[in-house]
Amino acid sequence: MQPAPALSANGLVKYFGDKRAVDHVDILVPQGSIYGILGPNGAGKTTTLRMLLGIIDPDEGHRELLGTARPRSVGDRVGYLPEERGLYPGMKAREAIAFMGALRGLDWKTGRERADVMLEAAGLGASAYEKIKKLSKGMAQFVQLLGSIVHRPDLIVLDEPFSGLDPVNQGRLEDIILAERDRGATVLFSTHIMGHAERLCDRLAIIAGGKRRYEGSVDEARATLPMQAHYEPREDGGALAAKLPADAVRDNGGYRFAVPEGGMEALLQQLLDSGHGIAGLSLERPSLHDVFVALVGEETVERMEADSDAEQSA
Amino acid sequence: MMRFLRKAAVIARRDFLATVFTPAFLMFLLAPLFMLAFATVGGTGARMIADSGDESRTIVVIADAPLAAQLDAEDSRMRALFPEPVAPPPIEIRTPGRDPGAQARALIENESIEIVAVLFGGVDDPHILFAPDGERSANYLGALFENTVEAERAASFGGAIAVPERETIQRSAATISGRQATGFTALFVLFLLTLLLAGQTVSVLAEEKGNKVIEILAAAVPLETVFFGKLFGLFGVALLFVSFWGGIIAFGLSLMPDTGAALAALDPAIGFGPFLALAIVYFGMGYLLLGAVFLAVGAQATSMREIQMLSLPITFFQMAMFGFASAAAAAPGSALATAAELFPFSSPFAMAARGATDPALWPHAAAIAWQILWVSITIAIGARLFRKGVLKSGPSFFRSIGKYLRCGRGSKSA
Ligand SMILES: Nc1ncnc2c1ncn2[C@@H]1O[C@H](COP(=O)(O)OP(=O)(O)OP(=O)(O)O)[C@@H](O)[C@H]1O
Ligand SMILES: [Mg+2]
Repeated sequence: MQPAPALSANGLVKYFGDKRAVDHVDILVPQGSIYGILGPNGAGKTTTLRMLLGIIDPDEGHRELLGTARPRSVGDRVGYLPEERGLYPGMKAREAIAFMGALRGLDWKTGRERADVMLEAAGLGASAYEKIKKLSKGMAQFVQLLGSIVHRPDLIVLDEPFSGLDPVNQGRLEDIILAERDRGATVLFSTHIMGHAERLCDRLAIIAGGKRRYEGSVDEARATLPMQAHYEPREDGGALAAKLPADAVRDNGGYRFAVPEGGMEALLQQLLDSGHGIAGLSLERPSLHDVFVALVGEETVERMEADSDAEQSA
Repeated sequence: MMRFLRKAAVIARRDFLATVFTPAFLMFLLAPLFMLAFATVGGTGARMIADSGDESRTIVVIADAPLAAQLDAEDSRMRALFPEPVAPPPIEIRTPGRDPGAQARALIENESIEIVAVLFGGVDDPHILFAPDGERSANYLGALFENTVEAERAASFGGAIAVPERETIQRSAATISGRQATGFTALFVLFLLTLLLAGQTVSVLAEEKGNKVIEILAAAVPLETVFFGKLFGLFGVALLFVSFWGGIIAFGLSLMPDTGAALAALDPAIGFGPFLALAIVYFGMGYLLLGAVFLAVGAQATSMREIQMLSLPITFFQMAMFGFASAAAAAPGSALATAAELFPFSSPFAMAARGATDPALWPHAAAIAWQILWVSITIAIGARLFRKGVLKSGPSFFRSIGKYLRCGRGSKSA
């Protein structure tokens, strides 16, 4: 029997004023999976997560969290890292973690003990007794992340957890997410960095302009696009372009185009017959980037990647 | 419920510790010292204010017309020796009845006028009866009598002078003015503390909004719990403040002589112990009620500037509640008093004053339940508004008001 999903939502709608920030979004997160929500800035990711957690109420639609329609009633089994990071600056790191645990029903003593262990594992052992205001932004963010999982929640929701972390800490965070999944938790996170989603997610949803454009596994996402061919002719002649599919573009001394519906054989035969020859040919699975371009448009994806580049270099 | 309280305690604990363990808290705690310093500098003024309480007091001479006239003349002469602020209370002359002793006793025990000392018995058998707080007045009466009689004896050459026999009596009941004074003092102290302390809650959520912790709190626990916890955290700070200064004042009073007698004169109708307990409870209720309102209103503010702007209406609100409650205290039993006791936000002040003049206990139980209900209602409404406005589940509170006003004006001008 299929286990009940950790989280499901149907037709979520949220208006801000007259603007529909989230427009009939459906999401289904299987138990024990890692689920990504991808989308450019302003897509409605944060708003969707807040609705799922019951921080704000949807204007329409229905959601179910850990088997209940009242997400607040299972708050102690949920961990949440908000997009806007914030801790009390005067608190010591381990106190801050224990405090967040206490808010979720964990007793202080256990919270402090776990905080020490987790900080040590995250390479922040030396900062356990430092006040938050003395930590760097990335360190503080890591402390907050630990605080949101210290009570060993069944469902972990992270809003843009990678932003603001250096590559080393991004790697640590990936390890933590995988470890939590192995512990049995379900992890849901939003991002606009495709690499993380591609590496971590069992399933993902792509949201743009408040609408869900795609839902499924990374492989399924790729399968929505045909394979890409890269062809290098031996004899590049004037008539060649006309023989290739309409979407072919010059690329790297050759041409790139989607594999035609009927397969490559007919095309290759034609190219050989016309004497252009084959100097090189490779077939590639489409990248998540290409899927994105197809789903949400070139411009959107470029904006998104510009954002993530800015993050990475920041 | 347990979960609610536990989590509220987590938030209250954080707020309490974060407030108390700061250098600023020491300033806050010791702030009344500045006031005391100024009071000492202005000490004379303070004494004048204290003495002016004597104006409501009277001393009485029960004597036949000739002696009364002599005493009156001597009083005018002696009174001229005192500077105005420290002059003895005015003298009233009464004609003796059948039993002047009983008459004198009745005068002192009379609840409606505050007579602190009575001279009776004529030239031959003079007596002075005085209340515990009337010793100075009794001394004055003695001197007055001796001077008067001496002058007369000197005129008629000879005879010994009878010295008045002094006797002090305990009042069996507090005077009306004493009781009203208790009421007003309680009211005043409550008001002052609530005014000083409850106003702090207006900015309490500003911190979380500024450092974005609010979303952690709002995601982890219901907003009602957040509000409740924050309110109690600050209430703890207020209690610390009050018990610190309450302890110092109690210690100071215990060092002073005559405290017992002074307290007896102020004996509130329901008894001193219950009154003190009620005053503490009503202080708490007043704090929680006003604090909940300020917290709810302050939570709607989106900037420090808005919070600063809010402090004025808040002070006015407190003044209005105080005015309402003190009007009620001045007219016990009136419709106004009942209204102030029923209206939730003036109720703690009005009920504290009522404790001074009305011995019944049950209205207090009812009032406390009523006030607790209103604390919960205020918190619930505040949390709902906060969810709608600040967490953007709907349009912001002030913005909707602004929109409403603009639209109202627009339609009028159209
Ligand atoms: N509190 C709010 N009040 C009004 N509009 C809002 C509010 N929060 C979000 N919006 C609007 O809703 C839309 C979706 O916002 P949301 O924060 O969910 O996007 P996001 O996908 O999380 O973007 P980002 O990648 O920048 O975090 C945006 O157009 C934004 O302007
Ligand atoms: Mg976001």
